[in-house]
This record gives sequence, structure tokens and C-alpha cells, in this order.
Amino acid sequence: MIVVEDLRKVYKNGEIEVEALKGVSFTIEDGEFVSIMGPSGSGKSTMMHVLGCLHQATSGKYFLDGEDIGTLNDNQLAIIRNEKVGFIFQQFNLLARSSALRNVALPLVYRGMKRSQRQEKSRIMLEKVGLGHRLDHWPNELSGGQKQRVAIARALVNDPSLLLADEPTGNLDTKTGKDIMKIFLELHDQGHTVVLVTHEPHIAEYAERIIHLRDGEIEKDEQINTSKAEALRQD
Amino acid sequence: MFLAIIRMALTSLKVNKLRTLLSMLGIVIGVGAVIAIISIGSSAQQDVTREIETLGSNIIWVSPSWNLSSADREELFTMEVAAELEALSPSVAQVVPEKTSGGRLTYQGESVDTTIVGTTPGYATINLYQPVAGRFLDQTDIEDLRNTVVLGSDMADEFFSGEEAVGERITISYNNRRSRFTVIGVMEDKGQVFAGNLDAQVYIPITTHLARMSTTNDIDTIYAEGAANAPAAQARQQVDYFFYRYLGDSDDYSIFSQDQILQVLDEVSTTLTLMLGGIAAISLLVGGIGIMNIMLVSVTERTREIGIRKALGAKKRHILAQFLFEALSLSGFGGIIGIGLGWLATYFVTDLGGWEMVVSPIAVGLAFGFALIIGIFFGLYPAIKAARLDPVDSLSYE
Ligand SMILES: Nc1ncnc2c1ncn2[C@@H]1O[C@H](COP(=O)(O)OP(=O)(O)OP(=O)(O)O)[C@@H](O)[C@H]1O
Ligand SMILES: [Mg+2]
Repeated sequence: MIVVEDLRKVYKNGEIEVEALKGVSFTIEDGEFVSIMGPSGSGKSTMMHVLGCLHQATSGKYFLDGEDIGTLNDNQLAIIRNEKVGFIFQQFNLLARSSALRNVALPLVYRGMKRSQRQEKSRIMLEKVGLGHRLDHWPNELSGGQKQRVAIARALVNDPSLLLADEPTGNLDTKTGKDIMKIFLELHDQGHTVVLVTHEPHIAEYAERIIHLRDGEIEKDEQINTSKAEALRQD
Repeated sequence: MFLAIIRMALTSLKVNKLRTLLSMLGIVIGVGAVIAIISIGSSAQQDVTREIETLGSNIIWVSPSWNLSSADREELFTMEVAAELEALSPSVAQVVPEKTSGGRLTYQGESVDTTIVGTTPGYATINLYQPVAGRFLDQTDIEDLRNTVVLGSDMADEFFSGEEAVGERITISYNNRRSRFTVIGVMEDKGQVFAGNLDAQVYIPITTHLARMSTTNDIDTIYAEGAANAPAAQARQQVDYFFYRYLGDSDDYSIFSQDQILQVLDEVSTTLTLMLGGIAAISLLVGGIGIMNIMLVSVTERTREIGIRKALGAKKRHILAQFLFEALSLSGFGGIIGIGLGWLATYFVTDLGGWEMVVSPIAVGLAFGFALIIGIFFGLYPAIKAARLDPVDSLSYE
């Protein structure tokens, strides 16, 4: 469960201060599928970085599964990222010089898992996203959709309590984007908590709830009807 | 996990083979140079030491100083003093006097100017000098003041060129005095020693020399051979003490010993080797800077990779270990190649010099250890830089 209270994030570059988040509060229950939407510069990525424990908020509270993230040091944040958060990025962010299998296994390395176990688990993860036949391929030998599936397998491999996706379909064509969204819906159906950051309404509408950001503030927080998700599920 | 991080480091070195090789080059050359210089140095040193040891065992030689007047010299440096030295010094096995003068040899109308050495039978033993035909001087030659001569190998070649010399009669002239001598022996090739080129001299009984070829009674050099069972320094001390007591002034005579010369030689070559080795070690430092340079470039290039790793849960120390191990591998592999290179260089140079090859394991260990330390030292800063990168900033790095 995610609880955010009056969260602020200020970027300081010398004299210039940019307030990217100006006091944001919301709660996301376990198993929810939430989109965070807003125009460019509204603070979506900043929000995602805080939720993903990549950096600390300037003030306010953030509880992840009851843990007060604001009190943790760098090492503890690394452990949370490793065990509780799965990231999916617009640019895929795979290691270019590693096979699909090695990319997926990376979070397990930092968890200290044995090699044979790592490979076994990563293989199963890749099979789940339909890439059982691409284990030893390098990222440059995979299509965009396949890369994003490797990234999803990597995000899932440590069985995190929160999946964070920042514009996951931004670099994909409509058809492939739909395929990826279908995977997110399946994960949601399996009980994963999914937070999706996007500025495209038609992508945001696959979720069951949309938080609209504007200039670092919540403009609207609405439940939406799931007819679009339902249509994709039937597809 | 440690193994996995090592594997990551090796993988990234493997991906960029040419760069890896180039960044190791400084260390390769540095380690190779240190090992080659020290090994070549000690090979040469061992060769020289061995050569000196073949010149004779533990010899001390004493001669009058230049500042001693010829009257004093004549009175003080005599055969009797030589005999007394032998009698009074327990650590001295034998004493051999030497008197030299320039003279002319003539045989069947052919003449050559050479050095005439007057000495005793002990001269052959202390110089480890063997006849190849006939014999060296013996006690009877000395006692009877015989006109017998032993030829150095060059002198024998000069007059007899391979033919039988022993038994032939040869004329020696000195200061317009001429005497006929009988050749009783020809010596082996010995070449240059401290006393000069033994091959180019001829040897006659010192008594004959003093009686017929000298205007004065003093001798030029007194050789003392240290007893085999006494320490080299002890024999030298006794001889020194004898002459100091006898002459009352250490400026009146000069004394040298083989172990002293060996020691000086040893010191000089060790200093030289260390100095050159030190200069080579500086090239190791330069190699370290090369590694740091490459590692810094690598950290910048791989900023995004570092960001990804951090997003997936890598702690600072994981990133630090990965980059540090990369630097360490560079210097380690460079060091191993350098050892091979140094060994090869030593092999070729010692082969060229005809010396026995001595590769000092200490030099190898030191050079390799130093290379590893340099790898850690110069790899640390880039690795810390990598570990400290902010995850968000590095993820958005283009
Ligand atoms: N490192 C930074 N230093 C200074 N200002 C920053 C930094 N990162 C973001 N900002 C500023 O914070 C604000 C919010 O940025 P953010 O990246 O969260 O927007 P976004 O909603 O993700 O936009 P987009 O849709 O373009 O990705 C912007 O005004 C941006 O300029
Ligand atoms: Mg953004």
C-alpha cells in the first residue's frame, strides 16, 4: 500500500529552485491499477522517482507498505528498490552488452541469489512474457516490444509489491503498445499493484483510476470505468 | 554475488578488447622494464663476480705508495719483509713477491718488448694459473738464481706459434744487459686480471730478476693469499696491521683485497640496478595514470548503465567493487603480460651477453605487487565517482 502525504520536491540548481511537486497527497491500495497523467513538466516523472525510491522527497511523507521511506539511507533505499519496486521505462533501459537472460537476472544478483537459481528464475520470467525462445539474444537483436517485455520480466523477477511504468508504450507502435498494455492488465488481474505514468489519455484509460497532475499539484483524482480495459482483455 | 560482480567486470573488459589492451600497455611496459632491468642487472653481476672469483682465491695485494721516496722504498719493501709477513700472519697462507720491469725478448733475430715479471712459484697458485707445456717456476729456480723463463701464451705464440717452446733458449735484454734464458714452460690463456694481461708477460725467478735485471733491491708488489679457513676480512686486517706496525703510517702503502673489490663492485651494481629499476617503476606510475584515465572515460560512458544497476537495487559498494575490480584486472593482466615480456627481454639480453639468466623472484613479486597496488590506487577514484552517481541523474544521462 502506498500512502503519500503533502509531498514536495524542490530541485535546486544553484540559485534557481524548481518546485516539481507542490504538496501531493493520495493513497493507492494493494492491487490497484492507477495512471498518473498530466502535461509535460507537470511532475509525473518526479512523482515516479519518489515512489520508486530513486530519490527522496524534499518534504512530506511517503509510506510504502507501512515503511516510512523518508527516514531511509542510500543503502536501505537500494534494498527497497531491489525487493519492492519493479521499474519499466520508456527507453527500456536494458544493459546493451548482456543477454536477455542476464538482464532479467540482474536484480537477483544484487539480492545475492545463487547463479543457478538466478538463471532458473529468469528463464521462467522470460517464458511468462513469451520470450522463452530469446533467452540468449542481446537487446540489439530484439524488437521494441520484445525489449519492453524483457524489461517487464526484469521488473517482475523479484516479485515486487509495486510496478512502476514511466511511458512504457512511448517508444512503441500502437499495436505493440496494446500488447504491452495487455500484459499490464494481466499483471493487475494477478493482483500486482501497477502505477503507470503517461501523458496519453488513451493509454491512461486502461487503468481503473487516473490521478491528473498539473504544475506539481493534483488537479483531479478519479475512478474511471473499465470498459476499455475490458475490451482489451477480450481482444 | 561477489563472483557475479567479478564476472560483470571481466565481461565489460572483454567487450572492448582493443581499449583494454591499450590501457594495460603502460603497466605491461612498466612491469616488464622493472623485471628486465633487475634481472639483467643481477645476471651481469653474477657473471662478473664469477669471473673475479676465477682470478684467484682471496688475494690481498700491497704496494708502496707513490709518496714513498725511492730510498725508503728500497729499504722497506724487500724480500725479507715478504718472508716476515708470511711468518707473522696466521690467516695468510702464503706470500708472493713480484718485481716487474720492461724488457726485450729476442729469439732467432725476432724481438718483442714485454713485461718481465720476477716472482716465486706461489704466483701460479694464487692466480689459479696453469702451464699448458713444461712447468712454472719452482723452488730450485729461485734458490739457484737460474736463468729460466716461463712464457705467457701470447709470448709463446709470438715466437713459436704452436711449435715446441720448452727447452729453447731466448735472450732477454734490459738496460743494455743481455742474458740467455731457457724456456721451461708455457702458460694457459688467462687474459686480463687485476695485475694486467698475464698472457703478454714472461716469468722468471724473482731472485734472478733482482740480481740481473734490477738496479734496486725493492719489490713492486707483495701478494698475500688468505688462508682457506680464515675469513677474508681477517686476513686483510692482519696484513694491514703488519704494514701499519712496520711502516708506522698508513699513507706509505696501499692495500687492496679481492673481497673488497667484489664488495665495491657489488655495491655499485646493486645501486645501479635499483636506480634503473626505480626509473622503470616510474613508468608503472604512468601506467597507473593511464588506467585511471580509461576508467574515468568508462565511468562517464557507462553512466546510464550505472543508473540502471542502481534502479535495480545495486548498492554503492556493488558499483564500487565492480569498477575497482575492472581497474585491478587491467593492472593484473597487464602485470602478467609484463612478467612474460620482462622474462623474454632478460632471456635475449643474457643470451647475447653469454651470461647465465637470473630472474629474481623478488623482482617479479615486487613489480607485480606494485602493479596491483597501482591498479587499486588509480582505480579507486573512478570507482568512487561511479558509486556516488545519483540514480535519477544517471538514468536520464544521454
Ligand atoms: N534534475 C532536475 N533539476 C531541475 N529541475 C528539474 C529536474 N528534473 C525535473 N525538473 C523540473 O521539474 C519539473 C517536473 O519535471 P518532470 O520530469 O517530473 O515532468 P514530467 O511530467 O515527467 O514531464 P514529461 O512529460 O516531459 O516527462 C519540470 O519543470 C522540470 O523542468
Ligand atoms: Mg517524464
